[in-house]
Amino acid sequence: MNTTYGVVAVALVAVATLGIGAFGLRFSRTTSDFYVASRSVSPVWNSSAIGGEYLSAASFLGVAGLVLAYGADMLWYPIGWTTGYLMLLVFVAAPLRRSGAYTIPDFAQVRLQSVRVRQVASVLVVAIGWLYLMPQFQGAGLTLRTVTGAPTWVGTVLVAGIVVINVVSGGMRSITFVQAFQYWLKLTALLIPVFFLVHAWTDDGRPSPVAPDAWFSPFGGTDGPSLYLTYSVMVATFLGTMGLPHVVVRFYTNPDGHAARRTTLIVLALLGTFYLLPTIYGVLGRIYAGDLLTSGRTDTVVLELPSRMLGGTTGELLAALLTAGAFAAFLSTSSGITMSIAGVIGQGMSREGPARRISTITALRVAAVGGIVVPLVLALSADRISVANSVTFAFALAASTFCPLLVLGIWWRGLTAAGAIAGMIGGGLCAGIAPVMTIAWGPDGWLGVLMSQPAAWTVPIGFGLMVGVSLLTRGGVPGNVSRTMVRLHTPEHIDVDRSSR
Amino acid sequence: MTEPERYSGRVRVTSPLTSAPAHVRRSVRQEIDESTGIGEIYMRSLIRSQLRAALTVALTLMLSIGALPITFLLFDAVTDFEVLGVPAPWWILGVLVYPGLFLLGWVYIRQAERAERDFAELVEPERRDG
Repeated sequence: MNTTYGVVAVALVAVATLGIGAFGLRFSRTTSDFYVASRSVSPVWNSSAIGGEYLSAASFLGVAGLVLAYGADMLWYPIGWTTGYLMLLVFVAAPLRRSGAYTIPDFAQVRLQSVRVRQVASVLVVAIGWLYLMPQFQGAGLTLRTVTGAPTWVGTVLVAGIVVINVVSGGMRSITFVQAFQYWLKLTALLIPVFFLVHAWTDDGRPSPVAPDAWFSPFGGTDGPSLYLTYSVMVATFLGTMGLPHVVVRFYTNPDGHAARRTTLIVLALLGTFYLLPTIYGVLGRIYAGDLLTSGRTDTVVLELPSRMLGGTTGELLAALLTAGAFAAFLSTSSGITMSIAGVIGQGMSREGPARRISTITALRVAAVGGIVVPLVLALSADRISVANSVTFAFALAASTFCPLLVLGIWWRGLTAAGAIAGMIGGGLCAGIAPVMTIAWGPDGWLGVLMSQPAAWTVPIGFGLMVGVSLLTRGGVPGNVSRTMVRLHTPEHIDVDRSSR
Repeated sequence: MTEPERYSGRVRVTSPLTSAPAHVRRSVRQEIDESTGIGEIYMRSLIRSQLRAALTVALTLMLSIGALPITFLLFDAVTDFEVLGVPAPWWILGVLVYPGLFLLGWVYIRQAERAERDFAELVEPERRDG
């Protein structure tokens, strides 16, 4: 691959990201600007931003790599990531916006009137964020190595650096501009090469992929584990999306609950359009880049295809375009997660921490730098595991903790602070042990299967503990729960009393 | 002698006004703001209809996408069926699912907003024409 084009592409995306970020900086003056863009982002902007933020390295590179390697079974991932938004729409979008909170810990405190719940939720936001950041940083290193031959750490450090500059300088407002720009960049970067690649494939006489039968049909390997794994991926992705910190924080930037719903519906369309494309790369990759399977570098298939199938300047230019898209994917997702981690740590610092005297915005800036160091070190030291796989652990953790908190908090009056804490800690520990076991020990048989995709058993534990302990501590139901329900569920234009009393 | 009579008449005119609020019909908004039994019933019925709409979507997902793995596993005819040389599961999982999800979201929003409109008319009947 031509190094010059690749480097130029990466540089352009970096400059454009920082440039649009600086443009946003001119508008962000108050704390509210900084955190949630003063809640004035229109649905079209907001949904482009959500799409840009959500489509990570796992979507841009990971899905095609998985399809190349494992075939039809892997199509469940993008389906799950899209369906997660539908679940978010129907169970939490409007009430969450109406709760008036900035973050999930804020929501927990508003709903349950407990500082302890807030603290547990804050720790979880940081944990989920780190689990999600690590593969993004690793993917960045991998991409830059594929394109330029630079050592892996260069790309990792580069992405982390740009993200910190961006978050520190402009906050959410600039992030919204950047993210919206990056959705369209990612879609374009994946869409244009498809026309050339499919044309080349047609000229080539439309060869079929050469693969075992199992590759062509979902559940080629007809057995219990593969059925369990599929359903567990479904549970994790369907229910985990609503609990991802960088996804939820976007809903506070809608002007009202009505806009929050419209935003989510547009997001469904944007994601559905995008996810039609990675499958094509995966299948073409099986035909033209089967050797990536043996070298274990399937995550790079999207970047490799143009030079392999087309060659020449066209191939080089398209490869550069795809590199730009991949970099946009790392930057946007990492910025979003870093922003939400920084928001939570920053609020904690300026409210109850040692730095009570520093301003909120300073706290946010310090927190952004601090919050990114740990996943950076993890990414640099840990061995690379498949990008799409490690992202699933973050989904499973979110589905086992924040999903029950949000769903029960919004729809069930009986939830108590004790119940919420028990559910988050219990579900969180189970879903947190699974990746540690899988990476450190790698057990065989059914135990290994249960650990590699934990959501199907950890989500019921989270829900069960939350409901069970709440029923045991009925006296702990907050006295103002009726007022909170009025606030969560009545449309904003109706003039009722929304105070918490 | 006529002076005091006229004076007491004035007092009588103002006295019905002080007891007037007791005869005015209480608005749904007041019932909700004061968390009375009736206000609670209105709120619960709004929440219940919204939850019903959400659960309908969840159930539809379970019976459609949720049933796909088992369908593929049990019925080879589906897996073997080809359209334009591409096996049916690839069409279903790779393409058809996405417009389906969008449609489901669209139907849900119509339901949820209708429930909110009904509720708004109940609470603020004076703004119906606005």
